[in-house]
Amino acid sequence: MVRVIHVLEAHVLGESDWIGVSEICQLCRLDLNAVLELAALGVMSSREQAPGEWQVPATALPRLRVVGRLMRDLGVNVSGAALALELLETQRELELRLRHLERLAADY
Amino acid sequence: MEFQDYYKILGVERSATADQIKTAYRRLARKYHPDVSKEANAEARFKEMQEAYEVLRDPEKRAAYDQLGSEWKSGQSFHPPPDWGSGFEFSGRPAGAGRAGRRQAGATAGAGTYAEEDFSDFFSSLFGGGSPFAGARGRAGGRDHHARIDVTLEEAYHGTSRTLELKRPEVKPDGSVELHSHTVRVAIPAGVTEGQLIRLAGQGEPATGGGSAGDLYLEVHILPDRRFTLENRDVTLTFPVAPWEAALGGSVTVPTLGGPVEMRIPSGAQSGQKLRLRGRGLPGQPPGDQYVQLKVVLPPADSPQAKALYEEMRAKLNFDPRASEAR
Repeated sequence: MVRVIHVLEAHVLGESDWIGVSEICQLCRLDLNAVLELAALGVMSSREQAPGEWQVPATALPRLRVVGRLMRDLGVNVSGAALALELLETQRELELRLRHLERLAADY
Repeated sequence: MEFQDYYKILGVERSATADQIKTAYRRLARKYHPDVSKEANAEARFKEMQEAYEVLRDPEKRAAYDQLGSEWKSGQSFHPPPDWGSGFEFSGRPAGAGRAGRRQAGATAGAGTYAEEDFSDFFSSLFGGGSPFAGARGRAGGRDHHARIDVTLEEAYHGTSRTLELKRPEVKPDGSVELHSHTVRVAIPAGVTEGQLIRLAGQGEPATGGGSAGDLYLEVHILPDRRFTLENRDVTLTFPVAPWEAALGGSVTVPTLGGPVEMRIPSGAQSGQKLRLRGRGLPGQPPGDQYVQLKVVLPPADSPQAKALYEEMRAKLNFDPRASEAR
């Protein structure tokens, strides 16, 4: 049997993309107040494209999706999730450095 | 399919109150949440718990699940009873509020991808798709779907493609739901980074009314590489050099994601020193850099000639590696 394959155009959400707050809410399953609070806490930058039309850079999506999952699954509030995110990122950075140093030290 | 003992998964008694179930779920979620946990099987365990909690926190689903009886054991072969779901009054919650039925429209792409909230066949047979417990589809537009896609660092650098099998529910004339799958090939552009989202417009849940279909989002996960470590778009390579290459400098051939390049080591370089190859990291605007961290490797003193050379250095160089510590 011949398998039909459709070829899809993919769009990577990258540095040049800005996404409206309502779409961010949908993608990260966060409510509007949570997104505004996260912006106020400095978790991501934001811009007002037109009066009342706030946008967030697409590069912030991975972090915001983690925040959304932490809030939903662990029952923490916005500032708790933001703090957890920062601590997780710091932990990952330190683990990365540790792995790198361990590689260097392996032969000494 | 196998029976799932949701009470056992959450570690609670069948008589547990809603608060006890919530507390048990939160406690386990803290331990196994994939964003937080270091446990090897965290992701699989967390999905089990999510599924169990989805049923036990909802009084309707819990009552229906309890009706199956307490004789079942996890892993036992199971088929829903023929009169499954009868005698219950359904709340008809919107599809977006519950998780039922998500499996029916997920994406699979073989190894390295998973659909978020991909509940078991057991759950789907009881609460998904054509089940009376599946969410009522009151909205015209389809929902967005999410899946993760694993790529190697080299694939992220060069770009790659993946073949995905998308499953979609179609309502038959008799009202039952049937899954149809179709295969698509997605070109993944060069320069994707960890956590980045790829949007496939219109490939999410089909619209049920006059609205548009949802989108499918693929979240990129870059697999660890044997040689390079990745941080944002920058890559770091640990590169072994001989003592004379570090001391005297010289030109060496260094591997990069785009192929080998010639690099100049400055004289007097030390082990651990980082040299930057601008623009040799992952492509982007701007592209990342490659850092080459030098690791001076000493030749073994395993021959009379090598020993003599080390002896000569000791005698002639007047070198104390701990001189700065003594001050």
